Amino acid sequence: MTSVTTSAPPRKTRRAKAPPERREWTGLAFVLPFLAVFVFAIVAPLFYAVYLSFFQDRLVGGSFFAGFANYAQALTDPLLHVGLGRVLLFFAVQVPIMLGLGLFAALAIDSGRLRAKGAFRITLFLPYAVPSVVAALMWGYMYGNEFGLIRQIGDAIGVATPDLLSASWVLVAIGNIVTWSFVGYNMLILYSSLRSIPTELYEAAEIDGAGAIRTAFSIKLPALRPALLLTTIFSVIGSFQLFNEPNVLRALAPTTISSYFTPNMYAYNLAFNGQQYNYSAAVAIIVGAVTVVVAALAQRLSRAGEK
Amino acid sequence: MRITRARGAAVTAAALTLTLTLAACSGGSDGGSSDGGGGGDVTAADIDAALDAEGTTTLQYWSWVPNLQPTVDLWNEAHPNIQVELTNAGQSADQYTKLQNAIKAGSGAPDLAQIEYFALPQFALGESLVSLDDVGLSDLESDFTASAWEQVAAGDGHYAFPQDTGPMVMFYRADILERLGVEAPTTWDEFLTVARAIKADNPENFIASIDPGDAGGVDSLIWQAEGRPFSVEGTDVNISFGDEGTQKFAELWDTLISEQLVDVAGGWNDAFWRSLDSGRYAMWMTGAWAPGSLETNIPSTAGSWKAATMPVWEAGTPANAENGGSGTAVLAKSENKAAALAFARWLSTDSEAVQAQVDAGLFPSTSSIMADTDFLGATSDFFGGQAVNEVFVQASKDVSSGWQYLPFQVYANSVFGDTAGQAFSNATPIADGLTAWQDQITTYGNGQGFKVTND
Amino acid sequence: MTQTSTVQASPEAPVKKARTGRRRPASSSRARTSPTLSILMTLMLLYAVVPLLWLVINSTKTNGGLFNSFGLWFADDFALGENLTKLFSYQGGIYSNWLLNTVLYAGVGGIGATILATLGGYGLAKFSFPGRKWVLAGVIGAMTVPLTALAVPTFLMFSRLGLVNTAWAVIIPALASPFGLYLMYVYSQDSVPESLLEAARLDGASELRTFLSVSLRLLTPGFITVLLFTVVATWNNYFLPLIMLTDPKLYPLTVGLNQWSAQAGSSGASEPVYNLVLTGSLVAIVPLIIVFLFLQRYWQSGLAAGAVKQ
Repeated sequence: MTSVTTSAPPRKTRRAKAPPERREWTGLAFVLPFLAVFVFAIVAPLFYAVYLSFFQDRLVGGSFFAGFANYAQALTDPLLHVGLGRVLLFFAVQVPIMLGLGLFAALAIDSGRLRAKGAFRITLFLPYAVPSVVAALMWGYMYGNEFGLIRQIGDAIGVATPDLLSASWVLVAIGNIVTWSFVGYNMLILYSSLRSIPTELYEAAEIDGAGAIRTAFSIKLPALRPALLLTTIFSVIGSFQLFNEPNVLRALAPTTISSYFTPNMYAYNLAFNGQQYNYSAAVAIIVGAVTVVVAALAQRLSRAGEK
Repeated sequence: MRITRARGAAVTAAALTLTLTLAACSGGSDGGSSDGGGGGDVTAADIDAALDAEGTTTLQYWSWVPNLQPTVDLWNEAHPNIQVELTNAGQSADQYTKLQNAIKAGSGAPDLAQIEYFALPQFALGESLVSLDDVGLSDLESDFTASAWEQVAAGDGHYAFPQDTGPMVMFYRADILERLGVEAPTTWDEFLTVARAIKADNPENFIASIDPGDAGGVDSLIWQAEGRPFSVEGTDVNISFGDEGTQKFAELWDTLISEQLVDVAGGWNDAFWRSLDSGRYAMWMTGAWAPGSLETNIPSTAGSWKAATMPVWEAGTPANAENGGSGTAVLAKSENKAAALAFARWLSTDSEAVQAQVDAGLFPSTSSIMADTDFLGATSDFFGGQAVNEVFVQASKDVSSGWQYLPFQVYANSVFGDTAGQAFSNATPIADGLTAWQDQITTYGNGQGFKVTND
Repeated sequence: MTQTSTVQASPEAPVKKARTGRRRPASSSRARTSPTLSILMTLMLLYAVVPLLWLVINSTKTNGGLFNSFGLWFADDFALGENLTKLFSYQGGIYSNWLLNTVLYAGVGGIGATILATLGGYGLAKFSFPGRKWVLAGVIGAMTVPLTALAVPTFLMFSRLGLVNTAWAVIIPALASPFGLYLMYVYSQDSVPESLLEAARLDGASELRTFLSVSLRLLTPGFITVLLFTVVATWNNYFLPLIMLTDPKLYPLTVGLNQWSAQAGSSGASEPVYNLVLTGSLVAIVPLIIVFLFLQRYWQSGLAAGAVKQ
């Protein structure tokens, strides 16, 4: 930490026509306020978590150095594996659907074949304003198998609706909440990216006589690759950090949503219900590492696709 | 801007250096629970002296008991020198998390806190709470019902002033039973018969529900069947669901679940209240603190409810259990222990204070009010004019002794749904589910330094 | 760690896309409206709106009405007024505290985070100094850290510093927005031409003045976009305030509302306030929606920045 702060800029740099090496330090001055908060609020707790993960603290007997024992335990912990597998499945199914819908909406709004596209754009984005806790509470009411809105509608039109909070459906139910919240958000990122495709490309396509759909595939999609990568990376992070939605729904489905339903919930319950702060830190660090690896794989795949 | 592997290694090295520096700085001072505790430096005389002390002491008090503020106001008006600030820091487990964090961090904990009986041993074990025996208050025993006093005991001391209790009571819809022409069950055999009658009348309905995520509810039913799965002696813990009482409970509920006579569903949510409201559930077996919740959540069913003591396993042999209830504990790290003890004692024993809490919907823990004729004779319109307190007091007297909670019950309860609860939800043998629970909490207990056996 | 840095990487690569004003007109003349597309998009619109509509409709119901009326239509008694009155008076009007707290946390946290991210992103994009790449890599890596990994250590740290159960415990972590920094970094690279900076420097302006008088204006869309994200993130934050705050008077809306929702699950004569939870949720969302609409034209272009680069 100290090494960063001691390298603060000398004051004399604020002169006109600063030579490059002086301006270097000015640059650091711009970054320093952010760095100070970043180190204090993220880096220091992170290193503290790493430190904690090398100890064990018992209700009887107190704290002692444990080396990599927590990591060894976590790597073979079936409960962690189940959680990781579940968020991977979630990622593999929910994210393509969400991004697919977002992409479709972005292309549709961008196509110019839609009336009142401004209204569509802002309306699809509105659910993003709903805090995930509130979104989960709301959808929880609607999912209720006895009295929820979905059941009421099913009954009204004579269709048997499944129990959305049962073991076989609950992941779908959670996926729906996340999709609902973030489709508009992803749509906007993709749409903004589409808006910045230079006109010449379209003109060239028009000369070629390409139709709307061919234009979409040959010009828009390749141009969207970076934006799609960005939204995918965000979705990887979002999937692996899944917490609020299942945690709120747990009040309605106490056995289908276990205390280790997602790795994040597992880490939370270890720390706060089991007082296993140290083990929890190790679990959280492993989850972070897996997230990095999956994000990197997504990056690799995207690169490979480009060639 | 690719970072090469060599640079990546440099990052790692820097990280390690920083880690070691941090480690050196914090020096493992976060043990937290080793010092303090006991509270032996305060005596009963100090507590009385605190009442007349000059200057103003402000006490921080955490509780989520609803409508408690009027009671606290009574105290604050009468004691200008000891002002109590009431904070609702979250329901049950949320509050324990915060309390545990504050204790671990060494700051931010209140002077007093409401702690449910099941969580008390955990805090007592960490020597985070003042033992009433250490401060000369063990003679309070006579003020409380036997089961209340037993529930604040942990190890060699009593760690809280019993505030309210929850003797199990069977609340039932008299209108439904009447329509079916059946009497309220007094034994579990009769309960099964009534449950089948309800199912036969309408397959959509249930006699009651059971919450597969609620360890407390299942504990109470096991207790009521004379099962005693947990026993604690210092750091020696025994966990065994193999005893006769537990097995009786498991077999009965296997039947109730496999015949779909009870609904396996979470409690306390919108769907639960709607089911009680619509008659989909005919009963609710829970603590005697429930009437307030019933009245406010489903006011439209007023007049059709009745209360009765729990069905028993052997006719003529009353046996009951507690469900919920909590005590007021003084934190060992409090700087105002004497004043805090004075307030807590008043809250649990002063007749005006107890009455104010009864008015707020709590079922009391003091023996005097249980014999009070006004209390016993009070009728409730919600229960069709029944003098329900008579039932509740009988239920309280029937509570059988010898039940113990684990010194890590908060954790145990948090994994109940993952293990035992699965058996309820999937209609597999409950005994197997309880075994899975037993295994998991045994592993945890051993990992935490207890000596756990399964005899 | 090595891998993440490559994720949004290669900032030095030449900017492929022409972002200099060559945008297509909003609606192309060759296009006619497509019925199929309209129908599909209307379905998506319904998907987004129906739950919000449900919230609006159910905010008008009493607790009793919630229990026995159809979810997507009004109950017999229209109680929105009563609910709103009760919302702001229940438990001594604590909802007003929550609302003001949320505005404070999101305002100070969001604006502060945006300022820090803008300064930092600009500094990283326009200057080269030792350790710059490390900062970038660290910031990008930080985006993948699970919240729970930081919760306990942050709590213990803040507790020692006496910050727990104060507004600072929520505001300080909100000030660090790695995503904001990244977005401003990309945006600065793209939208502030080097030639303008050189011109300002030749005029003898200090770097700070150059930033304030020349660059900041060009950065406005990016600034607004980051502001939107950081405000929304803080407004919707649940986990951190839940752990850090014990005094309900300091709660933000999310924690307060969830506590009300859990209140029906407490023993004794606790009052069920589902109606207030729903009305309170609605009131919690409205300010954000207003902000969305108000800032709409700014964040459109700012958003593109983070997405067009690779």
